[in-house]
Amino acid sequence: MTYTLEYKNISKAFPGVQALDNVSFKMSGGKVTALMGENGAGKSTLLKILSGDYQPDEGKILINGEEKRFRSPHQAIKSSISIIYQERQLVNTLSVAENLFLEDLPGNRLGFINKAELRRRTQEIIDTFGLPIRPTDIVGRLSVAYQQMVEIMKAYRRDSNIIAFDEPTAPLTDKEIVILFRVIQTLKEKGKIVIYVSHRMKEIFEITDEIVVMKDGHYVKTLQTAETSEQELVRLMVGRDIGDTYANLNRNDKIGDVLLEVNNLVTDYVKDVSFKLRAGEILGFSGLVGAGRTEVMRALFGADRIISGEIKLEGEVVHFRSPRDAIGAGIALCPEDRKEQGLILGRSIRDNVSMPVLLKVKKGVFLDVGQEEELAKEAVRRYGIKTPTTEKRVGELSGGNQQKVILGRWTSDKMVTKILILDEPTKGIDVGAKAEVYQTVCDLARQGIGVIFISSELTEVLGMSDNIIIMHNGRITGTLSREEATEERVLELAMLES
Amino acid sequence: METLKKYFKSNTFTLTILLILIVAFFWAASPGRSYLSLINVTNILNSMVLFTLFAIGEALLIISGSVDLSPGYIGTASGALMTAVLANTGLPWFVALLLGLALGCVFGLINALLVNELGFQAFIATLTVGSFVAKGFAYILVDGKVIPIKNRVIVWIGTGRLFGIVPFTVILSLLLILIYGIILAKTVFGRTIYLCGGNSQAARLAGLNPRRLSYILFANSGVLGALAGILYDARLKSGNLDGTNNYAFPAVTAVILGGVSFGGGTGNMFGCFLGLLIINSFNNGLTVMGVTPYWQSVASGVLLLLALTLDYLANRRTKRIKVRRTVEA
Repeated sequence: MTYTLEYKNISKAFPGVQALDNVSFKMSGGKVTALMGENGAGKSTLLKILSGDYQPDEGKILINGEEKRFRSPHQAIKSSISIIYQERQLVNTLSVAENLFLEDLPGNRLGFINKAELRRRTQEIIDTFGLPIRPTDIVGRLSVAYQQMVEIMKAYRRDSNIIAFDEPTAPLTDKEIVILFRVIQTLKEKGKIVIYVSHRMKEIFEITDEIVVMKDGHYVKTLQTAETSEQELVRLMVGRDIGDTYANLNRNDKIGDVLLEVNNLVTDYVKDVSFKLRAGEILGFSGLVGAGRTEVMRALFGADRIISGEIKLEGEVVHFRSPRDAIGAGIALCPEDRKEQGLILGRSIRDNVSMPVLLKVKKGVFLDVGQEEELAKEAVRRYGIKTPTTEKRVGELSGGNQQKVILGRWTSDKMVTKILILDEPTKGIDVGAKAEVYQTVCDLARQGIGVIFISSELTEVLGMSDNIIIMHNGRITGTLSREEATEERVLELAMLES
Repeated sequence: METLKKYFKSNTFTLTILLILIVAFFWAASPGRSYLSLINVTNILNSMVLFTLFAIGEALLIISGSVDLSPGYIGTASGALMTAVLANTGLPWFVALLLGLALGCVFGLINALLVNELGFQAFIATLTVGSFVAKGFAYILVDGKVIPIKNRVIVWIGTGRLFGIVPFTVILSLLLILIYGIILAKTVFGRTIYLCGGNSQAARLAGLNPRRLSYILFANSGVLGALAGILYDARLKSGNLDGTNNYAFPAVTAVILGGVSFGGGTGNMFGCFLGLLIINSFNNGLTVMGVTPYWQSVASGVLLLLALTLDYLANRRTKRIKVRRTVEA
């Protein structure tokens, strides 16, 4: 008999975003099904509902026509579902064998582990995969690629009927990809349901039989891989008009001189990156997650080590050894992860705003709380931060308001910000707050600040930027002007295999 | 009015009540109400001196998100160095004293080096530096013996009393905790400690320097520890083998009881002072009432558990925020 897995009318909302909206589609055994869509299309949410991590608000999952409810990942595993996530779920301090059999260690009646048996069965699996590792190797000491393979072997070992791969090839080299594809082929021949999530077009066309296209939390279409093309796929993934939000922005039309010039920047994470930023320009950075955009900015900001390359600020070569140097020179960074890297959640709005200018708000040897209060009040007023007082802890504010606190920090009277780097500034904030952030960014550009705008949302980058730089695998793969840029072209460059 | 309201809600208020209860209880229970006599109050403050010095260093470090388990041992080593210099060389007393303090500074910097450059956990690094290196150093310096201190100035510093009543060391410790309290609460440096302790990554990306701060605070803890160790020896008029070895941990207890959280980023010096007062009046009270040292130890343990419970309850709030954060992500 053929296994089937059906999502039926599934909806799931998170605060401020409808992650899935009435999604229905069916997959069957003996086929490899790709899930495709932009970041935020709902692929991960679909997997997490299958794994029991999330409960759907509405709708159900049918396996072989029978309704299943998973209240926890444990239940999903027991129902023969294995999901291999991008973040590996291994115990680094244990051996390969112990990881493979973690919840099912072969033991005897007294509860002792039968080590010989454990090793033998692990070796069998390793041989099937043809990998040069031993059952006794400690997982934490293996390379990232082999760790990923251990994760895959774990799913294989469970002999699950439904196996989902979420971007499995990201850490793998070509050699392991060949092995992985052979394993997937075997799974397919055994009649299992294989779900394959990836951004890599080449792989999708090589390994999958059908493609489920998702967009903005909606199911779009199921395509037969053999009968479609990359062009059609991209069109279905992005085909949508850019909303009026961007048309209504009061944009800056006077772009000035070159503020920042980066030449052949090389770090541990990026290769040969060069670009220019002009005063009053909004320079978009697009690319898939992990393309190296954040890493370029961290190096630029003095937070990561630079191996070679040159950074010129207003024509002069600069060397920043720490973020403090960069800030002193007029560069400000709003990090991607504002809760971990941007804000001190346990401290007040006031403390978070005054952070970089503490030395400028002194009265004698003491901090001048009055001046600090002025700065914070100005930020609250200017950006309309919703709070009763500046003493409220930022951890208690909404995402949009938190973002405004960071903007307030970098644009206070005591700062001389020339370049503002925004890394995913609208991540996790709702639609209304997004529009406010957009206008704020345009206003800052109108004041002559050069803005670098990183975003994984294509529409946002297209709507906001004067020019767009696209990165892939740590390199710049293209630069498009506002006029040249279309979603298709950006996406093509972002997925370019180099 | 606002300030008053805040105070009633704060951990400091709870501590004040606790202190009053303890004092009232022992006052009522002590024979002849002797608990609050001038002599006994001076005794309490006197017993607090060394703990206060350690507590200051620990408070700053713990607020900054770290901890130091070595200063007790560093104190012993510094005291031993001073004693050895006085006994074996003709160098003047202040040189011996400065050498002792410098040794504390060096040990502190070694701690900071291990933590910042080699990525050791502060717990492991400071425990090793303290309980092995500094401890061994002390033994070597005094050659495994108790060496008497004959220098009159050092002994005078350790045992002298203002108007024959208040020990100099008490005045010194109170002054220090006041000064550090002001630094922590009112200066840019103090604020930096809170910010780096709250989230060192975010602090760095906002232009602060958590690494430099860590060096300063470890060195500071080492020097304060050295000062405590030197005063200990000066009081006993001899260089000792295990001098202040067991002082740092009770100081950490007092700091935690005083509302400083191991999570970093919270607490203040006044709270720590109350924590110190509570622990010392408690112990003194037990002594006055004739409770044996063994039972005192048990009672102190209970007090420590109480301190950790308070810390846990205070932390639960922050944890809830963290949990919400993960759910959103």
